[in-house]
Amino acid sequence: MNKIYDYLVIGAGPAGMAAAIEASNAGLRVLVLDQAASAGGQIYRNLGQVGDHQAKVLGADYLAGKPLLAQFMAANCDYQPMAQLWHIEAHEKGFMVVALVRGESITYVTSHLLLANGAMERPMAIAGWHKPGVMTAGAGQILLKTSALLPKRVVLAGSGPLLLLLAQQYRAAGVTITAFLDTTPKSNYWHAIPWLVAGFTTPNQLFKGVWLTLVQRIKTPYITGVSHIEVLGEECVTGVSYTAAGKAYEISCNLIMLHQGLIPETQMGQLLGCAQVWSETQQCWQTQVGVAGQTSVPGLQVAGDAGTIGGAYVAQTKGRLAGITRANSGVAALSLRKRLITLWLCLRGKQLNWARGLVDRLYRPAHWLSEPAQDTIVCRCEQVTASAITAIASTGCAGVNQLKGFTRAGMGACQGRQCGLNLAYLVAHAQNRPVSEVEPLTVRPPLNPINLGQLSRQAEL
Amino acid sequence: MTDSLFSCLIKDPAQCPIVVNGVEYQVPAQLSVAAALLYLGDLAIRKHPISGESRAPFCHMGVCFECLVSIDGQHKRRACLHQVMPGMCIDTAMAGVNP
Repeated sequence: MNKIYDYLVIGAGPAGMAAAIEASNAGLRVLVLDQAASAGGQIYRNLGQVGDHQAKVLGADYLAGKPLLAQFMAANCDYQPMAQLWHIEAHEKGFMVVALVRGESITYVTSHLLLANGAMERPMAIAGWHKPGVMTAGAGQILLKTSALLPKRVVLAGSGPLLLLLAQQYRAAGVTITAFLDTTPKSNYWHAIPWLVAGFTTPNQLFKGVWLTLVQRIKTPYITGVSHIEVLGEECVTGVSYTAAGKAYEISCNLIMLHQGLIPETQMGQLLGCAQVWSETQQCWQTQVGVAGQTSVPGLQVAGDAGTIGGAYVAQTKGRLAGITRANSGVAALSLRKRLITLWLCLRGKQLNWARGLVDRLYRPAHWLSEPAQDTIVCRCEQVTASAITAIASTGCAGVNQLKGFTRAGMGACQGRQCGLNLAYLVAHAQNRPVSEVEPLTVRPPLNPINLGQLSRQAEL
Repeated sequence: MTDSLFSCLIKDPAQCPIVVNGVEYQVPAQLSVAAALLYLGDLAIRKHPISGESRAPFCHMGVCFECLVSIDGQHKRRACLHQVMPGMCIDTAMAGVNP
């Protein structure tokens, strides 16, 4: 049976929760679909269940999500956790969203849709990153949040706030950090200096960031200006080699966690035909989004990190704005209070985005990471190397979608999420054109795998 | 199985019995299936279907599809998205299953 909603929110992170609270308070029939077992998104993952010991290690910024989570759980909206969305398309009544819930495929219909499905980590394709013993820093943090699992000793490599935060949390929990390999290019610091002005508009964040950086530099074996990291080992990781200050080094380790920032998950918007733009500042494709989350598709909004990477607080602000805007669409007589709140949220969102400019410049990914070494496996699912991609791209192939046909890169189970960006960089480099001119991989359903039995039991589409 | 690279932060956590590749283990009840395999020391849990190389859980958020295992006879489950349940049967490439 089809269920019809006024507002369907995808993702129960800060943006999705805030939007759902506003829209359901206004009396709309709201459904929130989320992939995880409990609400909170990646940032507040497992916050409702987490024990005291974990909470202490995870820190104040994590616990800051409690009021939002409590409000969401009390809100008068439907909430479906463990829902794996596999298809989404335009429908006569608005949108049709199809998700796997407890192994059954269920269709939901809604007049308005909000994509608040968040971000993923920017794939860091270094030689050997497919070997057992390599994980992302986000993975490390998720293991801590949901499973209270810690590595005994670890090498952290890359750049960005999450990596610094993870180092802090790991140290607090007594994990040995064998080395912190910081890949932030020195030139980023110069580019970031003018943006300190923007950073000072969110002084708390700025000081927290500076403190976090300084503490890790003092308390961990911190190596700056690292490049050309290579993971060593036959079957599993046995070490890592890198270059710093012109010299090559090698350290032995069994576990390495990588991070170089986040990129929005744009697949759902792409599938619905939303216009995509290349962000030079954030080095990724983004769905074109207006102030209140509106996209180029009527009735469809995007909020939070699924639009532009901004972090939890920005996501919450924008989610709230999206929810209020949806609740009041078509209502000309907005109360003065609502109008003021809307105006304040718009301005706050703009200011926070501007302040984020500092982080974007400081942690802009290093150039060498967009040109993986020859034998690096760029498409992990289909085992396609950088040299194979460059060879095809150099013959004048039209873009990543044609490249997919020639090499199978981007055709695997992850549907190009782990390689799409790097394919575009490699095509751009090989053809000597800006990456903004290379179109992203075309997205097709199913967005999540579904088996034929489940598909055949699907009542109607 | 080899020595685990991971340990549990919680002292004396509630235990959950699971069966991995036919062998019964007790693991902390709050673990995801992927976390349980890491906790038991099973880092390489999958053979890549093309190269046959070993692979391990990578992103832990359902994006990368590197942690595919068989859970209670259901193939190609992402181990990171499921929590362990009492009596859950998990089979990995190490038992000859290649989901």
